[in-house]
Amino acid sequence: MNGPIVDFVELTLVKAAPLIYAALAGVLCERAGILNIALEGQLAVGAFAGVAVSFLTGSPLLGLVAGVAAGALAGGLLGVAATRFGVDQIVAGTGLNLLALGGCAFGLTVVFGQPGASSEVHSLGSHGETILIVVAFVAAIALHFALYRTPWGLRVRASGENPRAVRSAGIDPRNVRLIATLIAGALAGLGGVYLSLGELDLYSDGMTAGRGFIALAAVIFGRWTPFGAVGAAIGFGALAALQFTLQRSGIPSELMQALPYLAALAALTGIAGRARAPQSDGVPYTE
Amino acid sequence: MIRALGIAAVLVLIAALAMILAGANPIVGFYSLFRGALGGPNQIAETLVQTTSLLFPSLAVAFAFRAGLFNIGAEGQLIIGGLAAGLIGARLNAPAALAIPLILAAGVVGGALWGSTAGILRARFGGNEVIATLMLNIVAALLANYLVVGPLHSPGATGAETAQLPDSSWLPVLLADTRLTIALPIALLLAFALRFVFDRTIFGYELRAAGDAPEAARRAGINLARTAFVAMALSGAMAGLGGATIVTGVLHRFNVALSPGYGFIAIAVALVGDLDPLRIIVAAFAFGILQSGSLTMQAYAHVPKDVVSFVEGLAIVALAARRFVAERAKAAHA
Repeated sequence: MNGPIVDFVELTLVKAAPLIYAALAGVLCERAGILNIALEGQLAVGAFAGVAVSFLTGSPLLGLVAGVAAGALAGGLLGVAATRFGVDQIVAGTGLNLLALGGCAFGLTVVFGQPGASSEVHSLGSHGETILIVVAFVAAIALHFALYRTPWGLRVRASGENPRAVRSAGIDPRNVRLIATLIAGALAGLGGVYLSLGELDLYSDGMTAGRGFIALAAVIFGRWTPFGAVGAAIGFGALAALQFTLQRSGIPSELMQALPYLAALAALTGIAGRARAPQSDGVPYTE
Repeated sequence: MIRALGIAAVLVLIAALAMILAGANPIVGFYSLFRGALGGPNQIAETLVQTTSLLFPSLAVAFAFRAGLFNIGAEGQLIIGGLAAGLIGARLNAPAALAIPLILAAGVVGGALWGSTAGILRARFGGNEVIATLMLNIVAALLANYLVVGPLHSPGATGAETAQLPDSSWLPVLLADTRLTIALPIALLLAFALRFVFDRTIFGYELRAAGDAPEAARRAGINLARTAFVAMALSGAMAGLGGATIVTGVLHRFNVALSPGYGFIAIAVALVGDLDPLRIIVAAFAFGILQSGSLTMQAYAHVPKDVVSFVEGLAIVALAARRFVAERAKAAHA
C-alpha cells in the first residue's frame, strides 16, 4: 500500500501518458505546418487495431505494432490529403475523425461480432504499461533533439514557419509535412495502444474520450514545444487524477473535465503571455 | 458533375465492400437503407425530419465558410441552443402563439452566444476559431450535462434531460402521426433568405469579400474583425435554432444526446452543396436518407449503422479533394 501522494503521482502519470503521445504528435505536425485535428481518430485507430490484432494473433506485441502502423496510416491519410490533393487540413481532419471513429465502431462488429465494446484480449500487462509510460518521456526527449538539433528538425520547423524558404533550399515542404504526419500518426497510434492494451485490455466505443482534443490544448499550452506539451499533458493528467480524489467533494466533475478546454480557450486570448503558433501552421503550401 | 457522380459511385462501392466484410448482402443492405428512408409516407416524413435537423447546422457551417471562417462548432452551438430552448420550454406554460416563438428565440440566442464566444476570440484576440470551436463543442456538452442533471434539474425528468414540454409548446406537425413539423419550411425559408443575403445585399457581399480575399476586403474598408464576429454569432444562431427545433419539434424535451453529430455531418453537407444554400437543401436530403435509413439497414440487413459515418467521413475528404482537382483542371484549361 502506497501513501496517497505516491498514488496520486502514479495516477497522474497513468492519465498523462496517452496525452503525452498525442500532444507530441500534435507538436510535430503543427511545427511542420499541419494543424492535425484528427488526433482523436488516430488514437482510436491505434487503440482498435492493437486490440483487434492481439485478439486475432494472441500476441499483444503484434497488436502494438499493428496499432502504431494503423496510427501512421491514419496520420498519413491526412498528410496525403493535405499535401497531395490540396484538401483543407481542417476539412480533412474532420472527415478523418468521422471515418476513424465510424470505422472502429464498424470494425468491432466485423472482428468481435458485437457493437459497443470488444471482448477482453491479451494485454501488455502492468509492466508493459509502465514501459509505455517511460517510452512517452523518451519520445519527448527524442522529439526535442530531433526538432532542435538535426537538419531534419530544422526543415520541419522551417516548413511550419516559411515553407517557401524550404522550397528555395531545394526541399519540397510537402514531403516534409507528409513525413511529419506519418510519424505523428505512429505516435498517436502508440498512445491509442497504451489506452487499449496498456491501461486496459479491450477497445470500447468512445474510449478515447476527447483525449485527441485535450492534446491540441496541451500543444497550445506548451507553446508548440515537446517539453512544454509534456508539461501541459502532465498538468491535464493531474486534473484527471484529481477527479478521482475529489469525487465526493461536491466540485462538479463536469467542471474538472472542462478545465483543459477552458484553459486552452484562455490561452487563445493570450492571457498567459503571447502564445504564438508557427506562422504557417494550418496554411496549405501550393506551388 | 461527372466527377461528383464518379465519387458517389466509388463511395457506394466502398460501402458495398464494407457490407460484405460485415457478412451482409450489399443488395439487401442498400435495399433496406432506401426502404427505411423512402419506403412509405412515414419513412419519407422521418427522412425529412433528419433533413431538417441537418439543414440548420449545414447552413450555419456554410455561412461561416463563405465568410472565410471554419465553424467546426455547429455541434456545440446546436446543443446550447437546444439547452436554452429545453430549459425555458420545460418551465413555460403559455399558449402556442407565445411559447413557440419564445422557445425558438431562446435557441437562437443560446447558439449565437456560443458562436460569438469563438467570434470574440477570433475578432478581439486573433485566436484560431477552429481550436476555439472544437474546445467549445466539448465544453457545451459538459455544461449541458451539468445543468440538466444538477442545478437546473427539471422535476420529473430522468437521466440527462429536461422534463417534457407541455403540448402547447410543440411545433405544429405537417403530417399527422409523424415528427415532421413546420421546422422544415422554416429551414427552407432560411436557406432562401441566405441565398438572397449573399447575392443581393451589401452585408452578404462584405462577408464573401472577407472570405475570398481578406486583404483586398480590408483595404476596401471592410472591418474584418467585426465581420468575423458577426459571422460567427449568426452562424451560431442558425445552429442554435436547429437545436431548438429538435427540442420543440422532435423530442419535446432537451436531452444531452439530442444530436448524433449533426454539427459534424453538417460540414459534409455544406461541402457537397458547394456552400450554396439551395444546393445544400438537396445535399441535406441525401444525408437525411443515410441518417434515417441506417437503422433499418442495421435491423434488417445486419449492417452496423456506423458504416454511415465511415462513408460520410470518406465523402468529406473525397469531395474536398474534388474541388481542388476541379480547380486545377480549370486552371490548366485557362
